Amino acid sequence: MAETLQNLGLGFSIALQPAVLLYAFVGCVVGTLVGVLPGVGPLAGISLLLPATFGLTATNAIVMLAGIYYGAMYGGSTTSILMRIPGEAASVMTCIDGYAMARKGRAGAALAIAAIGSFVAGTVSVVALMLLAPPLASFALRFGPPEYFALLLLGLLVLAYMSGGSMVKSLAMAVLGLLLGMIGIDQMSGYFRFSYGIVELGDGLGVVPIAVGLFGIAEVLATAGQEVPPQVLKPKLRDLLPSRQEWRDSVMPIGRGTVLGFLIGIIPGSAHIISSFVSYAVERRLSRHPEEFGQGAVAGVAGPESANNSATSGAFVPMLALGVPSGPIPAVMLAALMVHGVSPGPLLIKEQPELFWGFIASMYVGNLMLLALNLPMVGIFVNVLRVPYSLLYPSIIMFCVVGVYAVNGSVVDVGIAIVMGALGYILRKLGFETAPIVLGAILAPMIELALRQSLAMSDGQYTIFVSRPISGTLLAFGAALVLLNLVSWMARGLDWRRRIPLDEKGENS
Amino acid sequence: MTRLRLVLLPLLSIVAVAIAQPVAAQEPYPSRPISLVVPFPPGGVADLTARPVAGAMEKVLKQPVGVVNKTGAAGAVGMQFVATSKPDGYTLLLALSSISIIPEADKLFGRPPAFTVDQFAPVALISADPTILVVRAESPWKTAKEFIDDAKKRPGQISFSSSGIYGTLHMAMELLSNAAGIKLRHVPYGGAGPALTALLGGHVDALASGPAVVLPQIKAGKLRALAGWGDKRVAALPEIPTFKELGYPEAEFYIWAGLFAPKGTPEPVLAKLREAARVGVADPEFKSAMDKLETPITFKQGAEFQKFFETDAHRLAEGVRKVGRIEQK
Amino acid sequence: MWTTDRIGGSALCLLAVLVMWESRSLPLGSWRNPGPGYFPVLLAVILLVLGGLVWAMGGGAALIAAVGWGEARQAVIILAVCVFICLGLERLGYRLTMLAALLFLVWLVERRSFVTAAAFAFALAFGTYYLFDTLLRVPLPRGPFNV
Repeated sequence: MAETLQNLGLGFSIALQPAVLLYAFVGCVVGTLVGVLPGVGPLAGISLLLPATFGLTATNAIVMLAGIYYGAMYGGSTTSILMRIPGEAASVMTCIDGYAMARKGRAGAALAIAAIGSFVAGTVSVVALMLLAPPLASFALRFGPPEYFALLLLGLLVLAYMSGGSMVKSLAMAVLGLLLGMIGIDQMSGYFRFSYGIVELGDGLGVVPIAVGLFGIAEVLATAGQEVPPQVLKPKLRDLLPSRQEWRDSVMPIGRGTVLGFLIGIIPGSAHIISSFVSYAVERRLSRHPEEFGQGAVAGVAGPESANNSATSGAFVPMLALGVPSGPIPAVMLAALMVHGVSPGPLLIKEQPELFWGFIASMYVGNLMLLALNLPMVGIFVNVLRVPYSLLYPSIIMFCVVGVYAVNGSVVDVGIAIVMGALGYILRKLGFETAPIVLGAILAPMIELALRQSLAMSDGQYTIFVSRPISGTLLAFGAALVLLNLVSWMARGLDWRRRIPLDEKGENS
Repeated sequence: MTRLRLVLLPLLSIVAVAIAQPVAAQEPYPSRPISLVVPFPPGGVADLTARPVAGAMEKVLKQPVGVVNKTGAAGAVGMQFVATSKPDGYTLLLALSSISIIPEADKLFGRPPAFTVDQFAPVALISADPTILVVRAESPWKTAKEFIDDAKKRPGQISFSSSGIYGTLHMAMELLSNAAGIKLRHVPYGGAGPALTALLGGHVDALASGPAVVLPQIKAGKLRALAGWGDKRVAALPEIPTFKELGYPEAEFYIWAGLFAPKGTPEPVLAKLREAARVGVADPEFKSAMDKLETPITFKQGAEFQKFFETDAHRLAEGVRKVGRIEQK
Repeated sequence: MWTTDRIGGSALCLLAVLVMWESRSLPLGSWRNPGPGYFPVLLAVILLVLGGLVWAMGGGAALIAAVGWGEARQAVIILAVCVFICLGLERLGYRLTMLAALLFLVWLVERRSFVTAAAFAFALAFGTYYLFDTLLRVPLPRGPFNV
């Protein structure tokens, strides 16, 4: 413990140097900007600025890139709450309850809770990263295809809890999303599926075009032509901060989101986007007022926003402790390290203590900077709502287009977003939920790949899923959940049947 | 608002779009910025090689050379883009050995190829990373011979990961399997990173990898290198033999990076590009950048590159054909 | 009769059949070794069932006419503008395309004054181009005359 504190002292002595502070600040600002812009997510932001870091020292480079990554998680909630457009894929869940809160005039409160939740999650998860990196990393490595499959199957169960309304319709949307995720190259066999000769579809539709189209463009299509433009209650100054009740409602979700997000983040390969989806579902399940979800439940904002922030710290665990890229973003950061002559690997922490501890310390500082950046900006951001809608929605369309284009420089992506926008509009009119589509599209390729890889590993034996301890446990957990739900559903049915005779007889038995 | 106004503007615009043509330039080459298209995402081998190349060539050509990442479909998107762009020397491609593989794979599946190798004019070879065979330190095989012998005894039991089916890491193993007459079990992953993670986590037994990413793991004692697919031994691993030395000369494989231009680019332009590449790779800044990436510079151009490219393409095409379509039982 | 759920359900069933038709060229494989066609067909079957359920349970939903379609005309116009943006982005370049699109939306569709619309469109199109292309180094397409 003392050694950790000593190392931390070393780290802060580096992180508080003016140059490092400057680069952390630049990273945070760019990250927030990148997060606010619809579509352009942290991966795009980091990739774009990677060349700019070649002239910097290794510490400055990685501090800046990391700042972009977790900064984007702060900024992503802004457009989600104000305009129901996901700033980046991980903020899709915030669109639902965050925007509903904004409609009720609680935009400031939502933004503040998102910022605070992100801060708490970011800071706590850095502590966890600092203390637990090596042992956690070895554990995370043991997640192979069978474990992924079990985990993702649990994720599918999550779909059942995601939205209110008809379960059948939500499930249908989830399956639609799963099918959309099938488009592209099949990684196990090399076949192109449903791509109709368009090479760009080889990698699938892409989460960003789907999310921005289904939420952003569809939103504009649905509200732009209304006789009376959407009346968002303009909040007064004192309404900007959350009420006492709202604070209390957000404490537990923030805590749960932090833990959940971190755990999901450390697993190599899992899209950290899932962390916000899972957090939303967990909050909904545990809430005493589940009917509030979708109408502006505080937990629906606090949980997912905290989860996606702590997932970023989680993603650093395998990257720093083992030198293994746990996803596309850590991969780019590892590349940045390599370019600077730092070879990432299991010995990184030992060989480069200044880099590692400087990095950790700068994450603390960075989270503070972001809180200081985002909270006062709440007042400014809320004023965006005052812009007349007739000017606002063309700008929204423009930002959506630019955001989607910027990710891959591909017009095909813009086309996909537009098609998804039209689809989202029609689905809304027909009363279908669109969030399950996004989760389905993300999960489909991952689940299928995990299943087929597992079968390749075991030469076709399905027993591999239960013979390995982690996947066996996860599957048992999932089965237990399903059974519990069936039982409670049946019990509710029984109660109902028992209640009728009681009412008819008019007496208690 | 009259309906006419509503209809007129979009009509006019669509007409404008339909007839819009880019303006062609007729000045000495090069007179405007050049795009070096990298068909892979930033941070990968191709990207990290391309940036120093761009920087070095910029100094010689006296025009900005910008790296443009056009990713997708394991490189097919970017490669197709350059194959179909104007052969004026302002759009270049930095491709990896997969350029020979993708059209073959397309043929295998009976789909119209995204591009063909003849749509490119090779300019120069920049680097040729020999792949090395790595296993976990705890595995029972201490030498390549032990590994191959064990594989012969237990066909289809030893598993290996790769960056994707018909990808470079998969083809390396296939070439070895054909040369040594062994059968291994292939578990494809979505990229070199996940493939490495799978090996470290014990989910597969072996991996063919570029040296740069596995050297730190070897140094830390987590992985063991058994042999290399190159012509010569890897400089950082002088005790590791090559498959050629072990008696399998057909198992020669490099993840090479080369510069290409669209076919039809005028000869003087190509000559200028070759010269720029030649001077560029001798640049000390370029050399130090490649050293940091642990990638040896192997410069070939003109007829030499042509020969290297054709031999490699032929080898890989054979390999792809032997793999065939994975038959579903 | 024509309720939203009925229409939705039938559309889903139709889509499911379409997917199964499109997957006919993909090998199915087996239970032990699923091929590329396995999952799409499986999902299509599930979608068919779910779509059928939605259709069957859909009698009580809102009638298709009752769901206000007032904004549909404007939505279609906006969609057309989006398509124009998509087509024009790489041919006319970012700035010109956005200028035209924004001008159209704000001046003709939203009926604001030409001056406001032009100023707004110009500022936004060129401003964001500067932001992205110059500051953030995201290359945006240029059109004729390098605009």
